[in-house]
Amino acid sequence: MNGIHDLGGMHGLGPVVPEQDEPVFHEKWEGRAFALFASTFVFAGYTVDEFRHAIEKIPPAHYLESSYYEHWLFAFEEALMKRGFVTREELDARIAQLKSGGP
Amino acid sequence: MPKPHQGPAESDPAIRVRALEAILTEKGLIDPKALDALVDTYESKVGPRNGAKVVARAWVDPAYKQRLLSDATAAIKEFGFSGLQGEDMVVVENTPDVHNLVVCTLCSCYPWPTLGLPPVWYKSAPYRARAVSDPRGVLKEFGTELPETVEVRTWDTTAELRYLVLPERPPGTDDMTEDQLAELVTRDSMIGVTKAKAP
Amino acid sequence: MLLTPDMVPTVVATGASARVDAHVAPRFRVGDRIRVRNHNPTTHTRLPGYLRGKRGTIEQDYGVFAFPDTHAHGLGEKPQHCYSVRFTAREVWGPAASDRDTLRVDVFDDYMDPD
Repeated sequence: MNGIHDLGGMHGLGPVVPEQDEPVFHEKWEGRAFALFASTFVFAGYTVDEFRHAIEKIPPAHYLESSYYEHWLFAFEEALMKRGFVTREELDARIAQLKSGGP
Repeated sequence: MPKPHQGPAESDPAIRVRALEAILTEKGLIDPKALDALVDTYESKVGPRNGAKVVARAWVDPAYKQRLLSDATAAIKEFGFSGLQGEDMVVVENTPDVHNLVVCTLCSCYPWPTLGLPPVWYKSAPYRARAVSDPRGVLKEFGTELPETVEVRTWDTTAELRYLVLPERPPGTDDMTEDQLAELVTRDSMIGVTKAKAP
Repeated sequence: MLLTPDMVPTVVATGASARVDAHVAPRFRVGDRIRVRNHNPTTHTRLPGYLRGKRGTIEQDYGVFAFPDTHAHGLGEKPQHCYSVRFTAREVWGPAASDRDTLRVDVFDDYMDPD
């Protein structure tokens, strides 16, 4: 698809900004999101191509503003909902529960 | 938006990850201890020191270098480095005439067994946009200026091959041991945005 | 299958190659001149937009791999050859680009025609 992910040759995105002494994961959730890749891949049976395509379908403005592991999270949710392992309602209910201090 | 819970506010993705992990754990689909093991593997066991060992060996052992350039996956496996996102490796050699630079414009493919997980800048839109169309400009931002007589060869890793740059061995390193040489091999030099460090 | 901690070292060290053990004839040989097809699928593809219609040269045949464009959509592996293809910077970016610099891109059989 002619999506925002197809970045080669695009102008106006600014300089490349390396970070000194960069940690592998900047926040704990990034490590959990990373590890969910191998863990969900093993039971859910999606392909890396399907995973990449799910990332490509992130709305363009959000794609540019969000981090790499947010892209992954979006793709896990898509792949797992598509296969019926979780539903949007389950996820939203649990997010609300966590936001109100629940487990 | 005010957060009802105590302590520092969690970002939205942090809560979404917790929710997903909790649901999948309760359904018996994932084991959180396996997630711990994966995080630990890539935080402490797999990283660019692996790639540096491969490069240093190639600098001191011509037969190894030949194996590395003809069948990178097998030659890298001689060190025990293999697997996820390094299943099919290609090593490209810098010479006085050719400087190689690696990018993944479509996502952020990267050779995990030899370099670990990619830094944020490698995954960033500016790098992915410009490494193909303005490689010399990108190299300059990393302090790497190359004469016009050198061919800059940019590899866009659009399929399932994963690339490692074999940087040139710096001058003045004839007396150094393999372990000492490995210290000169940086992550950035194996992506191709810089040269290996001078001794 | 549930991924348990004791399986992690093996999964990490083994991975999952996208190579397909199938005998498929290559459409191109090293040295062949090719032209990249102009396709605009709304579905998944690993052909970057900047290459459409560009002319290049086959540098290396990497062997047979699953084709992402079908594999991403449950339409099968459609195994085919993937090549390292050389493009000059000027072919891709025009006369302002360096006349020495080049690009190497991994390109599947189905993305190219003979030139």
